[in-house]
Amino acid sequence: MFLKDESFELGCIPMALKEYVLKRLVYSVILIFAALTVNFLIFAMMPGDPLRQYMARVELHTNEEQYEMMREQLGLNKPLHLRYLDYLVKMLTWNFGNGMIGGGAPVTEQIMNRLPNTLILMGFAAVLSIIAGIFIGVLVAYKRGGLFDTLAVTGSLVTYSVPIFFIGWLMMFFFAVQLHWFPLGGIAPRTWGRTPPTNAIEVLIGRISHLVLPTITLFLFSVGGWILLSRACVLETITEDYVVTARAKGLKERTVLYKHVLKNASLPLITSVAMTFGFLISGAIITETLFDYNGMGLLIWDAIRGGAAPDLPVLQAIFYVIALAVIVANFIADLLYGVIDPRIKYG
Amino acid sequence: MATRKTKISYAVKRFKGFWNQFRKSKRGVTGVAIVVFFTILAVFAPLIAPYAPIDPKKDADKYPGQTTPPRIAERLCSPVWYKYLPWIPRGPAQAEDLFWTNVTELGGQLLAVFDRLEVTDMEDYIPKDTFDEYRGNATDHYMRLSRAATKPPQVEIIFPNGTLKQIETPEDWWSSRNPATLGDTIGKPGYLSMRSFVRGLSEDLGEDLIYTAFRVKYEYSRDITENMELVPDFQFSSNQTFQQEWDWTTLTGSAHLRYNSVKGVNNDGCIEITYNPNVDENESKIVLSKRFEYPYWEPPQSFWAHVSTRVQGKPVNLTITIQKDGEQPIAIIKLLREASPNYHHRTIYPTEQVVRDVSHSLSPEKIILPSPGNYTFAIEAVFTGEEKTSVYLDDFNMLLYGNTFGLLGTDNAASSSYPRDIFSTLVYGTQVSLTVGVLAAVFGTVIGLFLGLVAGYVGGVTDEIIMRVADLFLVLPTLPLFIILIVALKVVSNTVSMWNIIIVLTLFGWMGFARSVRSMVLSLRERPFIEAAKAAGAGKFYIISRHVLPNVFALVYITLATSVPGAIVTEASLSWLGLGDPRLASWGKLLYDFQISGVTVTRGLTEYWFWIFPACISIAVLAAAFILMGYALDEILNPRLRMRR
Repeated sequence: MFLKDESFELGCIPMALKEYVLKRLVYSVILIFAALTVNFLIFAMMPGDPLRQYMARVELHTNEEQYEMMREQLGLNKPLHLRYLDYLVKMLTWNFGNGMIGGGAPVTEQIMNRLPNTLILMGFAAVLSIIAGIFIGVLVAYKRGGLFDTLAVTGSLVTYSVPIFFIGWLMMFFFAVQLHWFPLGGIAPRTWGRTPPTNAIEVLIGRISHLVLPTITLFLFSVGGWILLSRACVLETITEDYVVTARAKGLKERTVLYKHVLKNASLPLITSVAMTFGFLISGAIITETLFDYNGMGLLIWDAIRGGAAPDLPVLQAIFYVIALAVIVANFIADLLYGVIDPRIKYG
Repeated sequence: MATRKTKISYAVKRFKGFWNQFRKSKRGVTGVAIVVFFTILAVFAPLIAPYAPIDPKKDADKYPGQTTPPRIAERLCSPVWYKYLPWIPRGPAQAEDLFWTNVTELGGQLLAVFDRLEVTDMEDYIPKDTFDEYRGNATDHYMRLSRAATKPPQVEIIFPNGTLKQIETPEDWWSSRNPATLGDTIGKPGYLSMRSFVRGLSEDLGEDLIYTAFRVKYEYSRDITENMELVPDFQFSSNQTFQQEWDWTTLTGSAHLRYNSVKGVNNDGCIEITYNPNVDENESKIVLSKRFEYPYWEPPQSFWAHVSTRVQGKPVNLTITIQKDGEQPIAIIKLLREASPNYHHRTIYPTEQVVRDVSHSLSPEKIILPSPGNYTFAIEAVFTGEEKTSVYLDDFNMLLYGNTFGLLGTDNAASSSYPRDIFSTLVYGTQVSLTVGVLAAVFGTVIGLFLGLVAGYVGGVTDEIIMRVADLFLVLPTLPLFIILIVALKVVSNTVSMWNIIIVLTLFGWMGFARSVRSMVLSLRERPFIEAAKAAGAGKFYIISRHVLPNVFALVYITLATSVPGAIVTEASLSWLGLGDPRLASWGKLLYDFQISGVTVTRGLTEYWFWIFPACISIAVLAAAFILMGYALDEILNPRLRMRR
């Protein structure tokens, strides 16, 4: 009975690895289609005719003819189910078309321009906070009840609840305004203009100096969550009977911790890590807005608020790509589960 | 059957036991104390906050016939307690204004237009892009300095290619009568020299002059000034105060003045000036004056004055003046009032033509009250003709706005028509954060509980559907989706209200809890006591409500406490991005107002820290309080954690 419950929590019934992978794959594909459908519905149901709003603001004098032409161009005059099919084909072939705002640049180009910036920023912050968070979390769980534990937990709880723009402003205040160590915002020094220097070291220093503050902000924002999560996971397993048995066998504390506790405690962590990496490409709207960092978050924000009306093609594409990334990351996490958790492999 | 009384006493006993345990958790007690504190703030906000959170007006109902009552303070005031801080600098100080030029051709002549830039954000080298970014809407044909210069300023040109050039400023560029202006209005020498100078530059630079900056360095006198109300009893409600506060003299003729207790605007007290000409008399002049001391070394930021008058008989000339001891009086307004049955209400702003004639600029308060000393605030009535004439005077007041106000200063009214008292906005903001946080958490938890119970107990296809929907919701990017939905809801309901945010937060706040409830129900339903209930013939609803629910309830409390902070921070973040209700004072909105105010981040973080940091800290502290509470609850109510100790 106990085993059955556990397996329910993991979302699968014990079975052979191959079957397990296949089931996860089918499930992921279904999820992708569900996400695609929701993504279509949200924007198709978008009230207030964004196209008309957009044209009213941009073209100033919209005549019906132009409006109809634009509708036809965007395929908005077709019945809903045909539009859905068009949309599916567009999304699955990665042919996202052009955006409405900012001269209607191709969506793929807009995304590719911003994606590297975001991946660098978010990637650095995620890797740092995951490593530091898990390290501190395990340490704290192992020496639970001590002063360091109390401090780390309280500190994590507090940073966990601080709004990220506050952390960002504090960083700006100390390191940009008071100490002048790093610039206030942007992605590269303003003096570069449109002609960045050719010297590689200079480019590197210029870019990194603009990267430091947003990275620290994101790091501080997320590290508390990782500390709490890994601490909870370790505490969950450290009290299990088999750990007591391992200790009773006379194993070294270190062996018990790394071989017996961490392996089982890592299972829930894997899902969270996978989700984090999946969401990397969505960028950080608030941090990027605050630091004027030209990444995906700012692209999303500009697409929503930058123009007269939400830039639907851009948003649809971004949402799809993000959902896809998260689902793929989840799938990989499930595969890892299969490799790590013997209950799945030999079930 | 237990009676109600024993049930209650049992509940009280259980609560006492729980509280005894909870009290031991320092984190939990801290959390509860903070939440109680903020709840008190929220409930008693109208009593604690001295001003309205949106568009606060001073004495809004006391100036009748008034569509725009006075503001409570000037924009961007510092906290009033700055005067107790010895390190806040006073006395002579250096100021630096930066202007950006644009040159347009108008009727064959080049015309320079100057935009003021925020100095602190500029680096020494100013590329063209930066200018384009900073190009504001405010344009002026002359460089108007932001403060009253006490000595002739120094002007430096920063050319687009980065070179600097100090230029000699001829004495006539700087008008001593008008220390606030560099260069003067059309027809005055300063302005012409500036124009010819710019024209000379444009011949050398051509198009490039458009991106040239002028850095003006000057000395001014800095002080901490407070709001002053020259006439506290401006409604003339009692004769006694009137006699004490005011002086009056008849300069020529036979006009006289007395206190009238019934003919005022609201049939209360007012001043009655009567001109009852003797034979051969055809002019009389009378002055009503009040002395006051202006104690500050810096002129006020602005002023607001008001007078209500009613005339019976012939037209009367009224002039309101301010006079420094030993200097000429300066007229603030001249009114020619004709006979009318009702009171005429007149508000006087610094933009009045009469004042501008005297000062040649748009900042007359710097001319009227240039330095500390004793002043006289007066109204002069001139009667002509041979007919009996009476003037009734009421609601006569003048407000001088200083640069400090309230406990936390004021904002710059970027999104409203009146500057707000930041402290009041902060107190009222508690209401929004608590309401949104608690309601969104309660709704999300209730929905999560319901779906979790159903999924776990019913199982099968229902379970599968609910859990797959939850999975789907978890893979969508949360914040972008929130923003999209709020924008959509804004179009549907045509307003952004607090409820839109609550709905969206609820919609995406149930998945995690539904999952935990489901897994708990799954293990519960295999327990012997449920089987026993089933065997006894209990229905599904009965089992869920009587046997499953009570066992899940510990989890409900914990989830409630830990999901409130998420809702609070998300609401603040959405408002921070400008998606909140514009008519509602919330903490996030306060910070959004800062961002759209045009005040640079550097100045905001240093000079106007009281605008940013209190709201940020409030959000963080309130959210942390709930988290601490939830954590303490978790330690007490979660049996697995309890075992571990």
